[in-house]
Amino acid sequence: MAEEKLEEFGGAKKLSKKAIKRAYWNWMFFNLSVQNFERMEGPAIIKMLADVREDLYPGDPKAQQEMLERHEVFFNTEPYLGCIVPGIVLGMEASKAEGNEDITSEFINSIKTALMGPFAGIGDSLLPGTLIPILLSVALGLCPNGEIIGPIFYIVAFLAIMLPLTWFLFSYGVKAGANAAQAVLESGVKDKVTRAAETVGLVVVGAVTASYTKFNIGLTYTSGDLSINIGDILNTIMPELSVLLMAFLTYWLMVKKNWSAGKTMLLFLVIAVMGYFATILTV
Amino acid sequence: MTIAQALLIALFGWMGSIYSPVLIGGLAGWYTIGRPLVSGMIIGLILGDVQTGIIMGAAIQMLYIGLVTPGGTMPADVNFAAYIGIPLAMVAGAGKEYALALAVPLSSLGVLAVYGLCAINLYFVHKQDALVESGNLEAASRIPVVGQITNFVLRFIPIFVINFFGAGLITDLVNAMPSQVTDILQIFANMLPLVGFMLLMRMICKKDFDLVYFCVGFVLVASLNLGMIPIVIFALGIAYLEYKSGTSVSTTKECE
Repeated sequence: MAEEKLEEFGGAKKLSKKAIKRAYWNWMFFNLSVQNFERMEGPAIIKMLADVREDLYPGDPKAQQEMLERHEVFFNTEPYLGCIVPGIVLGMEASKAEGNEDITSEFINSIKTALMGPFAGIGDSLLPGTLIPILLSVALGLCPNGEIIGPIFYIVAFLAIMLPLTWFLFSYGVKAGANAAQAVLESGVKDKVTRAAETVGLVVVGAVTASYTKFNIGLTYTSGDLSINIGDILNTIMPELSVLLMAFLTYWLMVKKNWSAGKTMLLFLVIAVMGYFATILTV
Repeated sequence: MTIAQALLIALFGWMGSIYSPVLIGGLAGWYTIGRPLVSGMIIGLILGDVQTGIIMGAAIQMLYIGLVTPGGTMPADVNFAAYIGIPLAMVAGAGKEYALALAVPLSSLGVLAVYGLCAINLYFVHKQDALVESGNLEAASRIPVVGQITNFVLRFIPIFVINFFGAGLITDLVNAMPSQVTDILQIFANMLPLVGFMLLMRMICKKDFDLVYFCVGFVLVASLNLGMIPIVIFALGIAYLEYKSGTSVSTTKECE
């Protein structure tokens, strides 16, 4: 069945690799360049198609214009992992230009609109929601005293993952056309990979919390000659126990009770001021 | 801060802003030099103290580590927070707690710039429509290049102006602070990373039981003092076991 569909709604067959590359770089560079309230990333789709218009409809300005006109609509997705969507759009446009009559103007736009939401969701949760924070956490762990290896690690790791991955997604979209979406959305691989990334993320975030957060209890209990530092006692139970307890409190407030970041920061400020003057907390 | 330094910082600030196309869009821009950790390194290089730059960048990074901008909304703008907060705190010779204290209001200012841009750029959208209608396709394709001017103006100018003219003011302010204020700010700054980490936990921690993984990571550092690379390898091992045992899919389903 997949084979049949590939015939009907498939992507580009004759489009040169050079043209696909040009469209890819175009999208990567300009996806958000004129971000706006009305069309969001719409103008970037027009730019991408306009720059390969001679490859799609050589010497036919009328058809080129028609193609661009049908993309004067709202478009918004996560631009990088979601780059498969502009890839699919280009694939469908190329297939249409190659004479595939199953692909109509309405079909292109309905597929485009149907896909942008799911890929915005997948992209946001996987890229800024999972991959980037995990790489950043590892990088932070490498530079507790400002070592340059931290940021360098992040730059190299991020680009080494993203450049091949986005090219793969985009060119796959171009070649498979509307079928590409089905393959990605329906496979269970995404869930498994996400889950594995989350597990790594949780361990790493726990580690970074321990290395970067401080909550020093300076309270000393004095009775005659006896002087007991409460912070030291907590540390003999487990090192940095006070930080872990604060982390649980913050988790409870922000994750379970849905406190906003601002409200939590305000609470921290109150704790800092009161703790300092009550000599419970020290620097 | 010299004028050349302020100009360079403003240039990188613009290139690392979310709507800047110059460094492969967000790939090497917003998501690379726009991450405060990397911004800190760049600012440190420009101001001649890489180590301090990275320390301050790391502090701001933790606060915004879980930042996602869903559907074009901008909860907090890390661009001004990093490219103005870090240089001002560095020039004033202040600690990272001052960079953090500056970052929060600056990120709100940046949000204004984002929404201002989205309104102004409506002009370019309609300009592009008109160019396509009139068959001027080459000019229509240049709109995302030309329209970048809005973002350039809204990023380059504020970053340059506030850094260049604000440095003296912030230095005086920091010097006039009583030591109590600095101490309290530091206690506050020491707790602040928790906010960023828990924003991230909202996304990756699907069940309370998952906190066990968080605790494992915590203990590996707090009690065993392990470095980051061994911890990641350990975490990959856990993830692989989980993947193999097949529990992974059911847990994700549960949360949706």
